[in-house]
Amino acid sequence: MVHFVIQEMKPRGPWLTPFNIISIPVILTGLVILYFRFVYGLGSVTNLSQDTAWGLWLGFDVVTGVALAGGAYVITFVVYVMKVEKYHSIVRVTVLNGLLAYSFYAGALLLDIGRPWHAFNPYIGNSFGFSSVLFLICWHFLLYMVAEFIEFSPVVAEWLHWEKARRILKRLTLTTVILGITLSLLHQSGLGALFLMAKPKIHPLWWSEFLPILFFVSSIYAGLAMIIFEGTVSHKVFRDLIDPKSHHSFDDIIFGLAKGAAIGMFVYYFLKALLFIHDKQWTLISDGWGYWYLLEVIGFVLVPGFMFAFGFRNRSLKTIKVAAVMALLGVVLNRLNVSIISFNWYSQAHYYPSWQEIVVTLTVIFTEIWVFRWVVTRMPVFTSDHRAR
Amino acid sequence: MDSFTYVNIFETKGLEYVLLLCFWALFVYLVRYLSSPAKKRKDLNR
Repeated sequence: MVHFVIQEMKPRGPWLTPFNIISIPVILTGLVILYFRFVYGLGSVTNLSQDTAWGLWLGFDVVTGVALAGGAYVITFVVYVMKVEKYHSIVRVTVLNGLLAYSFYAGALLLDIGRPWHAFNPYIGNSFGFSSVLFLICWHFLLYMVAEFIEFSPVVAEWLHWEKARRILKRLTLTTVILGITLSLLHQSGLGALFLMAKPKIHPLWWSEFLPILFFVSSIYAGLAMIIFEGTVSHKVFRDLIDPKSHHSFDDIIFGLAKGAAIGMFVYYFLKALLFIHDKQWTLISDGWGYWYLLEVIGFVLVPGFMFAFGFRNRSLKTIKVAAVMALLGVVLNRLNVSIISFNWYSQAHYYPSWQEIVVTLTVIFTEIWVFRWVVTRMPVFTSDHRAR
Repeated sequence: MDSFTYVNIFETKGLEYVLLLCFWALFVYLVRYLSSPAKKRKDLNR
């Protein structure tokens, strides 16, 4: 067994690929920056201050990354609870994506906390902090990562040829899926609830008492768009690992996901419109912030929503893929607007991430892709039946 | 002479009700649009 694992650890395939050439220097630079961050503190590598305590690492890695990982709970709900077998072939890769996204992006929270060793306090009882939304988020992140790992563990057991363990772990799937969906519903909205107390600091076009609901609804279509995007890339890059039947059925899966995303974006758009009217924000859209808001809501929600519906109805894969990228950009824009761009919008001193913050963010993303690539080239991720291999 | 007092839908919840009615009408239309038989596939260039 040890010999097998050591063999599997060895690198495979060519080293001089474009992705490796770009990612290796970035990751090495990122590690050096992280050394300085942990030795000399946040101020040595970030543009954070007492006024802007949350920057790119929290706004993009945690708040945005978790939203983009929403596909895992949506697909497991559709397959295991709604029993729609059509999407069964993408469950493993989607769960893997969710697990890695939470491990890396939620893990990036440790980079952004001034004293990261205090992050364990809510777990070990050294000041639980029951009244804080972060208490809920901390526990949910941890429990959801455990749930995702249990959902993915039959694949690991299959890779290690532990047939008995695989059968036992497989029986836990439905329970962990239901637990995972429950946790996701709460912490996706909980991330929005984090910003409820920041009402005086966030621009009124982005702050709403319904932020938790907006974050939850947008995570549904963000997850579906991410599956379309990631699946399209995977089916090109890992073409040899996927059997031809899956290639063909993936087109139908994309159409189904596009339909779900269109409905999700439609609901989200009307929620935004309703809140806009309810809060009587007419006067706020006549300046630069207003145009920026309209660009986000119309350009990156309404337009891709129509494109998803049009692409589904006319069976146009290209339209759907472009819509998926636009929808992803829209979610990234929305989360950054709430957490960074419109935060302290009235202040003269605006926060801009330092180059070190950007490099570390890229390091997190590239490292996740490296781990994803390592797993899918060794474990039976792209097959839904272990006997098929 | 009594003057007319118009209801300002911007000040009341009138516009919110109108929007909700639009939502449900368009939602039904969207579901029917997405449920009806799809047109011929345009691009399957893979």
